Amino acid sequence: MHFKKDEMVKYGTVLALVIAITIPFATDSMFILNLLVLMLIFIIFASAWNLLAFSGQGSLGHAAFFGIGAYASTLIAANSGMSPFITIFLGAAVAAFVGILIGLTCVRLKEWFLAMVTFGFAIIVQTLTVSVLAPITGGWDGIASSRLLSPSIPGYQLIEYYAVLLITIASVAAIWYIMKTRIGLAFLAIRENELEARAAGIDPVRYRLLAFALSAYLAGVAGALQIHHIGYLTPELYGVDNSFWPVTYVILGGLGTLAGPIVGTIALTIIWEGLKSTGLTFGRYVIVGVMLILAIIFLPRGLVSLPEQVQGWLKRRKRKEPPSGTG
Amino acid sequence: MDNLGVFLQIIFWGLYAGCIYILLATGLNLIFGVMKIVNFAHGEFLMIGAYITATIFFISGINPYLIILLSMLALIGIGAVIERFCFRPILGTGKLNEIFLSIGLIYIFQNGAAIIWTDEWQSVKSPYDGISLPFGSLSVPLDYILIMFFTAAIICGLYLFLKKTTIGMQMRATSQNRKGAMLVGIDVERIDVISFGLGCALAAAAGTLWIVSGQIFNPYMGSIPAIKAFAIIILGGLGSIPGAIIGGLLMGLAENGAAFLLGGIWKDAISFVILIIVLVVRPTGLFGEKGD
Repeated sequence: MHFKKDEMVKYGTVLALVIAITIPFATDSMFILNLLVLMLIFIIFASAWNLLAFSGQGSLGHAAFFGIGAYASTLIAANSGMSPFITIFLGAAVAAFVGILIGLTCVRLKEWFLAMVTFGFAIIVQTLTVSVLAPITGGWDGIASSRLLSPSIPGYQLIEYYAVLLITIASVAAIWYIMKTRIGLAFLAIRENELEARAAGIDPVRYRLLAFALSAYLAGVAGALQIHHIGYLTPELYGVDNSFWPVTYVILGGLGTLAGPIVGTIALTIIWEGLKSTGLTFGRYVIVGVMLILAIIFLPRGLVSLPEQVQGWLKRRKRKEPPSGTG
Repeated sequence: MDNLGVFLQIIFWGLYAGCIYILLATGLNLIFGVMKIVNFAHGEFLMIGAYITATIFFISGINPYLIILLSMLALIGIGAVIERFCFRPILGTGKLNEIFLSIGLIYIFQNGAAIIWTDEWQSVKSPYDGISLPFGSLSVPLDYILIMFFTAAIICGLYLFLKKTTIGMQMRATSQNRKGAMLVGIDVERIDVISFGLGCALAAAAGTLWIVSGQIFNPYMGSIPAIKAFAIIILGGLGSIPGAIIGGLLMGLAENGAAFLLGGIWKDAISFVILIIVLVVRPTGLFGEKGD
């Protein structure tokens, strides 16, 4: 079998779209449909995290933007009576605004200082939510959030699935487009070599801030979607788990690739649910941790690079050549 | 109690909490100084150290202050294995990879511990529970004083080890200039293993002292203190052990002051507020220098 990479990507995309559109007809289980919706939402979240990673910034506190989007959208919807389908994007704008603020403190920092500041920021936001802001956020108890669609509408879950699918496709397409424009090229240039990027006339601070805003916006969309899908939100949204999941998905799928977050989220969701059916609770996390470490050491470009890697091994086997240093 | 009494109380609490941070931050600094790696899973070593102490204590009933040595020895071993099989393969591939790897380690250690020891809160009863010494107008639990004493002893021991022994000198040499150390014939990979193990042992000591003083613990106890310890070494200057000590004490004081003034909920958040303010004003940390 010989495929060019471009062709593979093209056919892969079409195939993925066909599967995504037809899959609800293959199952009438509400459980699976719900799982698929949550998976799509996490694809947006992981892609948002990955967008920030494109510019060389690794956040350990993306739960903050996820949660801010959710809270803002819920509160706007509750106070204005607007449809959640509109407030999702308004709430995300609040997340983006906060993203710019936190970005302002982060953009001049070294990569691992930034990881810490973002991690700490999620804790600060959580603390604010349950203390000063408790009167409007409901404190630790949380508040109810208006549903995307009323459960009284027949087939509402199916409609919700397609709505979320549409937003997911739009988000991924937006990232794809951004990465093709000058902005995306600037992100990559900064990631590869900040000094050279500066020499080429790119202002790293401005572009990093932009990456922060875009990434926070999409994370906010994901958070708002999830919360309007579930119908309830608590400050646990800001928890470490929500900050670490997108990292895990992206690293496993392939850091800094468009398909990485998608492949990683789908693969890990399947593994996660598969392990759940075997009755493991803590063991699931141990297995994910081991997989993460193995991926970082042995498959640094993630699952998306697996076909290439396998082809490389096979070729080498055939020719019985000593392994050459492939990058 | 009068205002002065409250003030002294906060200071004592701060010093006590500061001891734990000093041990954690010094361990991190040791590892960062020699290997230049960032291990966000350092708090998990604190947690494992605490559980090892607790387990030995529950089985044998020996004075938990004596078990600290066993726990530290065990963590040297665990640390050496983690260094050899997790961090060494990715050494030099970038800070972000080290952070991602620590997330994997956090998953494994926290949930591994939950499998072995359950995720319920537990506690260890110190043999000196309930004994207090008068200190001016307030009485201080004997445990707090013992903990400050142990911390001081461990830090002095580390100082002597680094200054007087051959391995200590090799560690300092590697930390100053890795290539130079290699050139003069130091086996830097061996030094890496030793430094990582020692750093983990200090975390184990911190964990042991924390639970022996009557604090309840569960498998998730370590992550927040570890990240705070990172905040401390950034504030105090990377690789500077005196910086870690001063930073640790200040962090303990600030935290307990904030908990008193703003309410206990702010205890965790305040350290990050301080960190963010300092980094905005001085992106290299209070005493930090340019460079890695």
